[in-house]
Amino acid sequence: MTLKERFRLSRFYRGEKATDKPVILNHRRIFILPTHRGFNFAILIALILLIAFVYNNNLAYLLAFLLASIFFISILHSYKSLAGLILEKGQSKRVFAGEAVGFKVNISNPLDIERYNLQITLQDSKGLTIKAQNKACMTLYSSTQRRGWHTAGTVTISSTYPLGLFRAWSPVQFNFKELVYPKPSKLELPFPENSSSETLQGFRQKGADDFYGLREYQSSDSIKQIHWKTFAKGQGVFSKVYSGESSTEIWLNYGHTPGHDTEQRLSQLCRWVLDAESIGVRYGFSLPGFELSPDNSLSHTKKCLEALALF
Amino acid sequence: MNIVHNKNNLIFLLCSIGLIVLPHFRNLPAAISAFFYLLLGWRFIGIWKQNWLPGKPGIFLLSVCGLALLYSQYQGMLGRDAGTRLFIAALALKLFEIRSERDLYLITYLAFIVAASQFLYEQSLLMAAYILFVCCVLLATLISINSNKPQTGAALKTAFTIIVQALPMAVVLFILFPRIEAPRWMLFNERHQAKSGLSDSMEPGSITSLGMSDELVFRVKFTGALPPPAQRYWRGPVLSRTDGKHWTQAANMEFRQLDKPVFKGLSYQYTLLMEPQDKKWVFALDMPAEYSLPLSRNANYQLITSAYPDKRVEYKITSYTQYNTGYITHAEYEDATQLPGKPSGKIKQLVSQLHGFDGTPDIFIKNLLNHFRTQNFHYTLTPPLMEEDPIESFLFKTRYGFCSHYAAAFVYLMRTAHIPARVVTGYQGGELNKIGGFLEIRQADAHAWAEVWLKNRGWTRVDSTAAVAPERVERNINMERFVSGNAFSLAPTSNTAQEVFNWLKQARQLWGNVDYNWQRWVINYDNRNQARFLSSLGIPDIKTMIYWMIVITALLTLVLSWFLLHQKQKNTDRALRIYNRFCKKISNRGLLRGSGEGAKDFAERIKIKFPESKGDIDQITEIFIKLHYGKNATSDDLKALSKYVALFKM
Amino acid sequence: MQNDIRDLLYSANRIILGKPYKIRLALCCLLARGHLLIEDIPGVGKTTLAHTLAKLLGLNYQRIQFTSDILPADILGTSVFDAKNHEFKFHPGPIFNQMVLADEINRATPKAQSALLEAMEEQHVTIEGVTYPLPNPFFVIATQNPSHQIGTFPLPESQLDRFLMRIELGYPDHEAERQLLKGQNRHKLIQSLEVKLPSDHLLSMQQSVTEVYVSNALLDYCQAIISFTRTSPDYHYGLSPRAGLALLNAAKAWAFMDQRDAVLPEDIQAVLAAVAGHRLRSGDNDSEAIVAPILAKVAVL
Repeated sequence: MTLKERFRLSRFYRGEKATDKPVILNHRRIFILPTHRGFNFAILIALILLIAFVYNNNLAYLLAFLLASIFFISILHSYKSLAGLILEKGQSKRVFAGEAVGFKVNISNPLDIERYNLQITLQDSKGLTIKAQNKACMTLYSSTQRRGWHTAGTVTISSTYPLGLFRAWSPVQFNFKELVYPKPSKLELPFPENSSSETLQGFRQKGADDFYGLREYQSSDSIKQIHWKTFAKGQGVFSKVYSGESSTEIWLNYGHTPGHDTEQRLSQLCRWVLDAESIGVRYGFSLPGFELSPDNSLSHTKKCLEALALF
Repeated sequence: MNIVHNKNNLIFLLCSIGLIVLPHFRNLPAAISAFFYLLLGWRFIGIWKQNWLPGKPGIFLLSVCGLALLYSQYQGMLGRDAGTRLFIAALALKLFEIRSERDLYLITYLAFIVAASQFLYEQSLLMAAYILFVCCVLLATLISINSNKPQTGAALKTAFTIIVQALPMAVVLFILFPRIEAPRWMLFNERHQAKSGLSDSMEPGSITSLGMSDELVFRVKFTGALPPPAQRYWRGPVLSRTDGKHWTQAANMEFRQLDKPVFKGLSYQYTLLMEPQDKKWVFALDMPAEYSLPLSRNANYQLITSAYPDKRVEYKITSYTQYNTGYITHAEYEDATQLPGKPSGKIKQLVSQLHGFDGTPDIFIKNLLNHFRTQNFHYTLTPPLMEEDPIESFLFKTRYGFCSHYAAAFVYLMRTAHIPARVVTGYQGGELNKIGGFLEIRQADAHAWAEVWLKNRGWTRVDSTAAVAPERVERNINMERFVSGNAFSLAPTSNTAQEVFNWLKQARQLWGNVDYNWQRWVINYDNRNQARFLSSLGIPDIKTMIYWMIVITALLTLVLSWFLLHQKQKNTDRALRIYNRFCKKISNRGLLRGSGEGAKDFAERIKIKFPESKGDIDQITEIFIKLHYGKNATSDDLKALSKYVALFKM
Repeated sequence: MQNDIRDLLYSANRIILGKPYKIRLALCCLLARGHLLIEDIPGVGKTTLAHTLAKLLGLNYQRIQFTSDILPADILGTSVFDAKNHEFKFHPGPIFNQMVLADEINRATPKAQSALLEAMEEQHVTIEGVTYPLPNPFFVIATQNPSHQIGTFPLPESQLDRFLMRIELGYPDHEAERQLLKGQNRHKLIQSLEVKLPSDHLLSMQQSVTEVYVSNALLDYCQAIISFTRTSPDYHYGLSPRAGLALLNAAKAWAFMDQRDAVLPEDIQAVLAAVAGHRLRSGDNDSEAIVAPILAKVAVL
């Protein structure tokens, strides 16, 4: 840390450079200032000092000095309430635009003292108490509006423990960065008719329900699958077998997506991708300059959504 | 849960407030105390029954009540009593308006002010300890507000820790913070609870029982040797005028100011700590020779202070027990021989019988004392009433009396024989606190003796009571207590009782010593004492004082920071600590144990690098593993590990 | 007893060349009463390992080749109507053997897979309401082709958890390869093996493993590892409590094989990759790389 960085004012509220590494709170990162309650306490001390002065009362003097010392010492205690804590960036999950991204922060307390009433703030404040030599994991939410990479600001951890006269705080910047997918459209449009693909058959209504044939009942088959008609005829127990899951393919194409502007189209595509994934249709995906051959798997969906988010 | 509605916080706060106002009971009018505790109780119930609490109009009504109450007990706008009452009433009313954390803080701060006001009434050590305790509870309240889940025990413990840590710094500030006396205009006229001690007149015949107050009057600490018990006469007002029943001071006492007695023998230097008094008398050891302002010596060799006597003050005085006051002035002679009328025949007969008219004064005094001793005179604290002719009744009828009776009778008889004599009142003796090495003089030590003017010797003290009850004077036994308290006067019957008695006595002396030092060093630490004390430490002026204050505070802060902040991760496991020492030794040679590396792997690695120490490394690692992971390690293993690691060299 | 283990390992190492650590892990897994998953391409000696162990331990051994059309009944067994006695008679499947090699388990449908895995977990088989206990000791070695091959059903994470360890055998090194090429037919060698550790010994050893002492300091380390996997961004999900128990059991067995009566952090580290790798990241089969951050970052002392 250069001297210039050391005296940068923004350290007080934004903290040091963003990092991925665990951050140990030390004297460089912890700031302490009196709260307005602390200022009032100073006034209280002055008042008692005045009483002592007017009445020349030594015990009142002593009380005033005691309170002054307590005031002073609580600075150290404030520092102690944060010092040594280790903040570590945890995971976060991708969300759709409009939802809040939850960034996990792991706070560990390696020392033998309990940390009371820590306030940890990203957008909203949360309070927590960490026992001696213990850990806590907090999820801090940051709301999103637009698709693409979302970065979160500074995490501030603060405490007014023990007396509330001083507030110790430490701003920590992590590389909080998470991909935000486009918001899925609310319109339930049918999948686009695909001109290019002749493998496309009726889907959605039929796809998953195509009756394939019968086979001998096995103990692991569901009771719903039993073909009761043959059973009734006394021909034995047979199970119905369905197929067709893999027999349909659709193409989701940016060019064929309705919408006034790019965002609406992306939003609609996002919706289709999710729908297609949930009903198990194999789908191909194409954006200008990006194409994925038909598939149906979580990783396929993820790739599509990523492409949408970063388009 | 909301901080404000957290029951624990409220209970804490209300308890501490109840505690803080408790000692004010004695100082407040009953109505205000009742008002306060009524409201406090109400608020207490309100913790559980929220809807029992008054609404806005209710609070307004209560405020009006409070104001009316304050007005009815009106004591002026400013000053100690008025201020205290105002704060307490405000505290009570504020309790019903706890809406935010801010209100909790305001109440706590008000409580601190009430705590400070307590010291304006009483400054004893016990009160200070009590207030310290209440402060601890108040701090615990703040801690409990600031911690998420308040735990009473933990909060109190933390509060106590903070106070203990703050005390040294507070003491340093206390010693070094410059004391400046408040300007006059800032002082309020307060009625202090000055104690009435000796009166300025004496009327032996009309008293049937002497008050046996155990109250402290003053304490004396000698720098050198103590005067023998028989010499411990603490001089108070001199009563020379009498009408036969009353004895009063002479009207004019200013005429011999410049005259100095001749002092002989040993000088006694001492500090005298006077308790607050209502009269300006200072009871010096007979007779004071050196003293400084605001003290002055009047014509009767009694010390008078010009400062307010209603505060505890310390004086440095030097006295001599042997002195010669020289000649007698005319006015003195007048006063010292004055009689209300002609003495009766009976008295004259007694005087002549004791050779008062024909012998030398010495012979007469000796005879008279002998008369007291032999003619069935008794010392008692409950003498019979002698309304008419008290002296004659005492001398010829009752023959029961205490010091005043004897002194008055003695002086009367002296004057009948034309020998100048007068009654001196004051204190005699005092209890030696062996622990602190100082004398405690209590009201019960009040005494009266006679003074006779003799040629070439000046005013000479004659204690006529000593003739009857020599224990009173010589053996430093507090006669009044000795005579009155039968339980004490009777010799304890068994050894255990003796032990208990001794133990009690010691405890009492210990406490007396603590209290004396408390009064001397804490309560009485004013600008003069501070200057004296600090200059003895080599701190001459305010500038150096502030300089030292800053330096010591900074030092204390450093020490505290060290203790508070350098709590490295504590390894409770001793084996691990020792093993870490071993790792340190190796790291000095450039091999660091990775944090994810076990002891065994580490040993394998270092053995390759340092094959010559293979045996030692194996041994240390093996013992460490046994201690840290094994199931039946013994303390011997720990010792062995410690030894091997200490001996380990590369 | 410890000599038996040494002999056994020695004999096994003569058959499977250049893989002492993997053989040790396999035996450790067995001693900890767990099942083993070997994930590797065909032909690196998975079957040989299983066969060798079975032979050395004197266990009856059966191999089940998993195919896409294998049915649960093919594994567990079926009830066949006995016309003579007019009743159903249970014909136990190949699973009723002390050592079962489930070859290429990911070729089978999930249904067949789960039939095997359920039996492994429950230690018994229930068919048509009748419960048939599996033999004791019971040890399954499943092999799996690397999952990116076409037409496979990789085991889901929940099922992977049933295996105490997952190991990769990997190609032999140069020296071992040469010896292999020069040497005798492995199959014949296996046939000539003698039993080194009879199953009653094995059972008592399995009992002794549970009695290995675990100190608080070691539990601290174990817990630190678990909580590290749960909070570190390196892993999407951490180790389950069951995984924690598995780790401790395996470490105990490892310590036992090392002739110690207390577990050391080194034991945990030795088995960590095999025990935790497949539980932390199923897709990736480089277990060593998966657990590397744990070994580097979690403090031992």
